[in-house]
Amino acid sequence: MAERAGGYRIGIDVGGTFTDFVLADPATGAIHTFKEPSTPHDPSEAVERGIRAMLEQHAVAAGSIDAIVHGTTLGLNAILQRRGAATVLVVSRGNRDVLELARCRMPSPYDFSLPRDEPLLPRDRVFEVNARCDASGEIIARPQASELDAVAERIRATEAHAAAVTLLNAYLTPSLEDEVAAALRERLPGVHITASTRVWPEMREYERAMLAVMNAYVHPMLDAYYERLEQRLRAIGIDADLYLTASNGGTLSVASARDRPVDTLLSGPASGVVAGCQLAARLGLDGMVSIDMGGTSCDMAVAEGGAPRLTTRAHVGEFPVIAPVVDVSAIGAGGGSVVWVDSQGVLKVGPRSAGADPGPVCYGRGGTEPTVTDCFLVTGLVDADAFLGGRMHLDRAAAERVLAELGRRIGFDGEDAAVRAADAAIRVATAMMGTALYKELAQRGVDPRGLALVAFGGAGPTQASLLADEARLDRIVVPLAPGTFCAYGAMQSEVRRDYVRSLRVRLTAAPAIDAVRASLAEMEAEALAWVSSEGARLAAPVITRSADMRYAGQAYDLAVPLTDADVEADAAALAERFHAEHARVYGFPDRESEVEVMTVRLSVSRALPPVEPATLAPGAGTPQSLGTRALHVRERGVEATVYHRDALHPGHRLTGPAIVEQSDTTVLVLPGWDGTVHAEGALVLTRKRGA
Amino acid sequence: MAMELDPVSLEILRNKLTAIAEEMGITLQRTGRTLYVKETADFGTALATPAGKFFAFPVGIGVAGFVDLDCATTVSSVGTLEPGDVIVTNHPYLSGGLCTHTPDLQLVRPYFHRGELVGHGWSFVHSADVGGKVPSSVSPTNTEAYQEGLLIPPTKILKRGEWNEDFVRLYRANVRTPEVNLGDIKAMIAALEVGQRRVGEVIERHGLDTFFQAQSDLIAYAEAKARDAFRQIPDGTYEFWDYLDDDAFTQVPVRIRLRMTVDDGRIHLDYTGSEPQTLGPFNIVTLGRSHPWVTLRLLAYAVTRDPTLPVNSGVFRNVSVTLPEGSVLNPVFPAASGIRTASGVRCYDVVNGALSKAIPEFMPAAPGGNIVPVVLVEPPHPDGRRPVTVIQFMVGATGARRGRDGTDGRDPSFSNMANNPIETVEAEASVIVREYGLRADSGGAGKWRGGAGQMISFEVRRDGCQLLARGLERLRFPPWGAAGGKASKLTRVVLNLGTERERDLGKLDMVTVNRGDVVTALMSGAGGYGDPFERDVEAVLDDVRRGIVSVEGAAVDYGVAIVDGGVDARRTAELRAARPATSSDGFDFGPERAAWESVFDAEHMSRLGARLADLPAHERQARRHALFRSIEPRLMVPATERRHAFAELFADAPAVVAELDRLLEGDAA
Repeated sequence: MAERAGGYRIGIDVGGTFTDFVLADPATGAIHTFKEPSTPHDPSEAVERGIRAMLEQHAVAAGSIDAIVHGTTLGLNAILQRRGAATVLVVSRGNRDVLELARCRMPSPYDFSLPRDEPLLPRDRVFEVNARCDASGEIIARPQASELDAVAERIRATEAHAAAVTLLNAYLTPSLEDEVAAALRERLPGVHITASTRVWPEMREYERAMLAVMNAYVHPMLDAYYERLEQRLRAIGIDADLYLTASNGGTLSVASARDRPVDTLLSGPASGVVAGCQLAARLGLDGMVSIDMGGTSCDMAVAEGGAPRLTTRAHVGEFPVIAPVVDVSAIGAGGGSVVWVDSQGVLKVGPRSAGADPGPVCYGRGGTEPTVTDCFLVTGLVDADAFLGGRMHLDRAAAERVLAELGRRIGFDGEDAAVRAADAAIRVATAMMGTALYKELAQRGVDPRGLALVAFGGAGPTQASLLADEARLDRIVVPLAPGTFCAYGAMQSEVRRDYVRSLRVRLTAAPAIDAVRASLAEMEAEALAWVSSEGARLAAPVITRSADMRYAGQAYDLAVPLTDADVEADAAALAERFHAEHARVYGFPDRESEVEVMTVRLSVSRALPPVEPATLAPGAGTPQSLGTRALHVRERGVEATVYHRDALHPGHRLTGPAIVEQSDTTVLVLPGWDGTVHAEGALVLTRKRGA
Repeated sequence: MAMELDPVSLEILRNKLTAIAEEMGITLQRTGRTLYVKETADFGTALATPAGKFFAFPVGIGVAGFVDLDCATTVSSVGTLEPGDVIVTNHPYLSGGLCTHTPDLQLVRPYFHRGELVGHGWSFVHSADVGGKVPSSVSPTNTEAYQEGLLIPPTKILKRGEWNEDFVRLYRANVRTPEVNLGDIKAMIAALEVGQRRVGEVIERHGLDTFFQAQSDLIAYAEAKARDAFRQIPDGTYEFWDYLDDDAFTQVPVRIRLRMTVDDGRIHLDYTGSEPQTLGPFNIVTLGRSHPWVTLRLLAYAVTRDPTLPVNSGVFRNVSVTLPEGSVLNPVFPAASGIRTASGVRCYDVVNGALSKAIPEFMPAAPGGNIVPVVLVEPPHPDGRRPVTVIQFMVGATGARRGRDGTDGRDPSFSNMANNPIETVEAEASVIVREYGLRADSGGAGKWRGGAGQMISFEVRRDGCQLLARGLERLRFPPWGAAGGKASKLTRVVLNLGTERERDLGKLDMVTVNRGDVVTALMSGAGGYGDPFERDVEAVLDDVRRGIVSVEGAAVDYGVAIVDGGVDARRTAELRAARPATSSDGFDFGPERAAWESVFDAEHMSRLGARLADLPAHERQARRHALFRSIEPRLMVPATERRHAFAELFADAPAVVAELDRLLEGDAA
């Protein structure tokens, strides 16, 4: 076999409409992108087709691919659409309703017509066994073999393909779940069994159970998918390391992803955020907020210090995910958001979306209600003939008709009714996104001032400067290929996994610090053992640690990052770290109160060799333009200079109002904004002083 | 009042102003320190007009039900308002009803722009303790507001941005947990500061005139939308009443009576005929004005009709109220109000019932009617810790409505709060939770089944613990069924269920429990809707498979025979042919209401009410009690001790009625 060091790498992101590919040659920094229509019945089909096409187009031999990093929302969709495997849950006696009660909240405090989400498993798929620990971790009930026989028999009768086991207080004594899981495996060959404490041994039975249940529920389907994917890659002649993107912004080897598919559920939006962070870091920007806006969604995320912010309060539909995932929040419904007028004659945008099908009126696929995308078209922000690089023609006249009619209902008459209505809808949508963005930032305790806005997705760069003006952000970054940014991010991600232990110890007693150290050591050993088999091309492992601590009797934790020195320190020093963090966040320490360590956390990561993007050929002065276009923005008509992205080079400057067309998006540069081009191609827009 | 902003600006301002109220709530939640803020979300934020009415209220952050509060009295009680002032109050009466019980510390900050008053920011947090007779300040045995903690009339806690140190000293000296409370007060002040800053930004961008216009337009917008929703209720007068089980001091039920009149989308709620103010703290301090605890169900109704309704005070411009002075819904100072939730929940049910009469096809049957914290107070541990743990907030379920079963084990009617994980509870309290889940067969039967209530059963692992369960309801009068649907099962709290030591704890206030004792709380479910014998047989089978309905329940309540996990069609046809008759008005209130009303019917209660009307408010209850005692002494047994069945007490109803007539005549003479 040929020497493959420094060989090629591929990033793949499977979306609802397109599967995106990025092919990188780390030796030259050359980066190629490609889009292939998705094949929802078997996403690996589009993956195979796309790879073949791309390899041929760039004359790259299959054998010179080193690594493939793949993201898929197959698991997520299986849960949202309830298409997972027949699954059962085994619980401690008395905890049968753990899924029914969940955390007891309803979707609305007022609206009594809104039902809760159905549990993932119905009540008759939950089986009780006499197995549980008490709050000190002592095993106080252990099932007899005959009881396990009987439970296995009942499970067999359900024809389940997967089972999850979650026992009360087993986060302190995982061996009990191991015992029960092993006994069931022995009795139920062919049924995949997930023990909750092997996925995520954190206190709180419902949340832990849901991770195990979701893992079991998607396991058979993803296992089969990964199998098919590997076959297809082999058929092409590729023998690369295969990685799957994870919800925490990292990646996992295919073997690890097969073992714990739940870690990949929310990976879709995470990769784009990782790429955004890296881009902001390359540009020397400190804090960034990303927006990823497409046809059906608009997500935001925040990064500080070059790493995406993670959360332990994410959800899949109504189901909680307490393992750390990249903290992504929806701030709108994307270009498909329906524009309408209510009974009082007030203009509304969303929350309903026309989705991808029928989609906006201008798609000509049967949509009859105007959407934000129709408004982009009618106001001139998007060109009917340049959409998707001209691959899809948009019907501007149809969009104008519906918007003119809508305009009349809010008092716009005359020839420009459609344009004014479209502009009004964009203003409303922008205000909604701006307020949602502020709320999300407040939730995270992040000050918006000074953040750069990294915009990607098919509609993100069109919306970005409108949103930045609304939210008073002074800088916007548009990556070179915003339409395939998630695939690009996937390719750049590190292998990463997180570990947790719930402790609840007071730092007054000597055993407390021993417990903290023992847990950290145990996790570290587990992490290093795991990561050592994740691939041969990875850099040395990096370990990070933190502790969630609180004042005794209080109801909230603060996460305190722990240095190597902290791990060696005594209890008083560790408590002092918490006092300092409390003072930083709340303005004062409370040294009278005892400090409790609730949870300790550890993460391990190993990077793939970095891809240094090539720099573009320099340009100077004003780039060559394609002419001008009339826009209607914020109640004014303006004449924007139009450029093609390919004509923009480092050293060029442009001034709003301007439009930058590229095959995967349209960038709007509002009046009051200037643009420059970074050496590696990113477009950086900056608000003019005083604008 | 018509809206004057254009339909685009209005929508933009609606988004921005609502988002400000929400950002305030998020800030409070993030910076607050107590369980009330972090876990149970017993806090609130909003923006009010200069006159004190809410024009922007958060959606899904904090307590959802306080939209109909009014800051007017509070902001007009402290003299001149200046920039940087923050007002604090917890006085139910002197705050003009803004504060609904003393633990809720209310903060209002007047907002200024270039020296001009442009509105107010509002926030509140339920405090762990504000002093008074018992820790946590609230007890069913409190009979005066003075016992319910330090009473703070509207007072400036910040003057021009500076702390009022005299107030803080007084406050610290009178409450049991001053540091914790002050932590939350600081979080409220931070939230109010965020509101002022964002309001300033909106005014800078859109202008002061637009900001003022947006306030009145948003209220007008909500009013118009709510009116459209209310117009879908046929004009007419609808009467409904329901009962609190008792007033804790006796067996006598507390009736909440409503006559609701609908006229072209305007609604009048006349609560005349509701009980005199109670000795215990079940009173709602309204001062006779519209108030969230008596109007809340109308908001839920309107939002259900129109989910795009902007939630603000405009909704209640369509609503007027009559709340007779001296009644449980308009008590006279110093009547206690600590456990006004119980009455509020019943008002909610009563408005729901009146709406059910008007639009039976739209409204659900009664929800579970409980939000009860089951609390264990332990003796001190050797290390000095003395755990006081909420084992669980117990709730029932939501009522069935046409076309949909109720939701099992969840009830957001009053508080959409999260439950406590078993593992957290066991780590904090000396208990083992033996079972926590749904109570089979507790949901009212119906063509659409009422939700099954929650149940919990836990073993106590230490001697000398105190068990508290304050505000328990529906032990006598079940959540009712509608349109032919059945009432749910009653609430029960039992010690050592199924053993020789079994003891029904009834409406406990505080009970000593020891190592090895098992406490079981079985909550009422919710009412069913429609004739249960018309319920889809497959739906009944599914309920049985899932264990929500027993095989026996399927046969008796639904006329469906389940044999070996399948439906026995022949036997089912036979059972269903022999269906029992349903009540004439479609409601099922359970047998105890009929027994009570076989003596104390509407006519006699009206006569009694008329006899008492001339007495001073605080004397009425004593006089009533005297009358009940002479009719049946056992009615005076405290409900916390035991419960006498009315069916037993009034087995010979005509004789008791005759005695009642004699007494009412005698009193008259």
